[in-house]
Amino acid sequence: MTLWISLVLHALAYGSILALAAQGEVLAERAGVINLGVEGLMALGAVTAVLAADASTSPWLGCLASLAVGAGGALVLGLATVSGSASQTLCGIALTFLGLGLSAVIGHDVAGLPVSATFTSWPVPGLSQVPVIGALFNQSPFVYLAFGILPVIGHVILFRTRLGLSLRAVGENPGAADAVGIPVKKYRLCAVVAGGALAGLAGADMTLSVMPVWSEGMIAGRGWIAVALVIFCGYRPVLAAVSSLLFGLVMSLSFFGQAQGWPVPSPILNMTPYLGTILFMIIPALLLPGLRRVMAAPAALGVPYFREER
Amino acid sequence: MSRRIRLAVVPARRIFIGRLLALGFVFVVLAVVLAMLGLKLGMVARLVVTSTFGTKFGLEDLALYMTPLLMTGAAVWLGLRAGLWNIGAEGQFLAGATAATAIGLFLPASALVSLPLAALAGLLAGALWSAVPAAGRAWLGVSEIITTLLLNFIASFMVYYLVTGPWADRVTGAQVSSERLHVALPVIHGVVHWGGVLGLVIVVAMGLSLGRSRFGYELALSGSNPTAAHYAGVSVAPRIFVALLFSGALAGLGGMMEVLGTVHRLQGGLAHGYGYLGIVVALLARKSAFALIPAAFLMAVILNTGIVLQTLQVSASSVLAITGLLVFAIAVSDELAAYVKLETQK
Repeated sequence: MTLWISLVLHALAYGSILALAAQGEVLAERAGVINLGVEGLMALGAVTAVLAADASTSPWLGCLASLAVGAGGALVLGLATVSGSASQTLCGIALTFLGLGLSAVIGHDVAGLPVSATFTSWPVPGLSQVPVIGALFNQSPFVYLAFGILPVIGHVILFRTRLGLSLRAVGENPGAADAVGIPVKKYRLCAVVAGGALAGLAGADMTLSVMPVWSEGMIAGRGWIAVALVIFCGYRPVLAAVSSLLFGLVMSLSFFGQAQGWPVPSPILNMTPYLGTILFMIIPALLLPGLRRVMAAPAALGVPYFREER
Repeated sequence: MSRRIRLAVVPARRIFIGRLLALGFVFVVLAVVLAMLGLKLGMVARLVVTSTFGTKFGLEDLALYMTPLLMTGAAVWLGLRAGLWNIGAEGQFLAGATAATAIGLFLPASALVSLPLAALAGLLAGALWSAVPAAGRAWLGVSEIITTLLLNFIASFMVYYLVTGPWADRVTGAQVSSERLHVALPVIHGVVHWGGVLGLVIVVAMGLSLGRSRFGYELALSGSNPTAAHYAGVSVAPRIFVALLFSGALAGLGGMMEVLGTVHRLQGGLAHGYGYLGIVVALLARKSAFALIPAAFLMAVILNTGIVLQTLQVSASSVLAITGLLVFAIAVSDELAAYVKLETQK
């Protein structure tokens, strides 16, 4: 029993990283911009969180720095692809390379050293005292944010407010949105920047809570898994949180297997998150072709908007 | 009066000038960053020149780097031709290298037999590694960008498992490495092997045949406008599938050349980021396969610069950062090149 609880706790912690990045990506993609630079932004967020937390001995300032770096990186992407209408695929890949490379250069001196200020878990009064499931209510603030607060806020904003309606209009049919007076490029730019800030925060979640040390290559494709997850969850904030937990469980399987002493070599176990993600992309498309209509991407996703061609 | 308009088709000359400016921009940024790190630019430049054009060893190194870059570049280029982003050349490269290693380690045959077999194994393994993303994209519409990329991680875990487990070197005890292979590609001069020549032949043959064949035309049509291709009677899905398979096969062959020609062992860091750098090579080459050759040369110089920087205590990942900056600058410059000022009479 305790083993299963520990598996779920592991999944919550690792899933929160994916959930934060995925919420940001949902926002950007709903506005019609596909940000393939999540991986790079997460790396930059992770390393700046460590540097800022070490310098200030406050994990909060580390968080703030990672938010700022994520937003800044996404702003560069937004200026190039939204304001300048350059290729989103290309700029996203470039941002990933740039982020991974820069973070390694910046973090060269702190690589492998323990982070001086990290987040401790916050027990929810009352609930955390309950036997067995009490551990679920004794989590880092990132977990509450990723699975409790953000999905609700994201859902309400996207589907219950005028702001969200406009944002979705910009992603579905920017020409029509423009015609009714919605500033298309402004909405897209803001969505990308906010999404990038969350990707940076996902990096901080890693280095300030889940595994408090910076090392090169520690993001290990989680940014790409988050992008895959956004497609899997059909661009919906609540489903994004649920699927993050599912993906988190798959990621935890390798740790679970090692702890249990499964007779499988660890490099093979380490493949499971990536294999799992590929299966999660292929199997729904294979078995439920009808679902593709319901879970479809925003119609103008990845297409730059030119007012002249409206 | 003047106003700006965006050209639908951009003249090659404008793109070229834009990209020269982009390259210049990257060099300036690099120089500023290095100066800020306290390195003497003159010394760095001298080191880069001596390790590339300046010496015989430098030129040999350049040729050795060019070979895998040419192959991964060709792989990504072929995908782009069909409108596909093969970000997984790194994994396909490793898969090809692994298959070639299996032949090199375990097949007791003369080089005359085992070399063609290793090449075939590399081609097949690379194609196999891209088969799932290819089928997913062609018939199910699953983004090939993400699936090909995720397979890179799986490939590197596979290689790591093999070279630390069943294929680990028990002769010299080298870490994260297989034993030295029994076969090798013949050398031309010094350490430069015939793989590079084979790569050049393949790229030229690809350029000639795709530009003149029905298959090449249908591939480009499927890539640039799938709807138009469909109405013209081209079945798009099989074309996409085959294009991505061939793309993987080219990268796999590159892996075979690297392991049998240059490294002679299967190792952890074998792919060296060649798959990712191949994206830049393909991008620089644009629509011409022949342009892959100078593009691979340029990237080989950049890769060598990164290695020089590594000896100066800058992180090895600086190559990745430089590459990212270059891709970004190219993407922006290509877009800006499309805008022209139009003089209008009032």
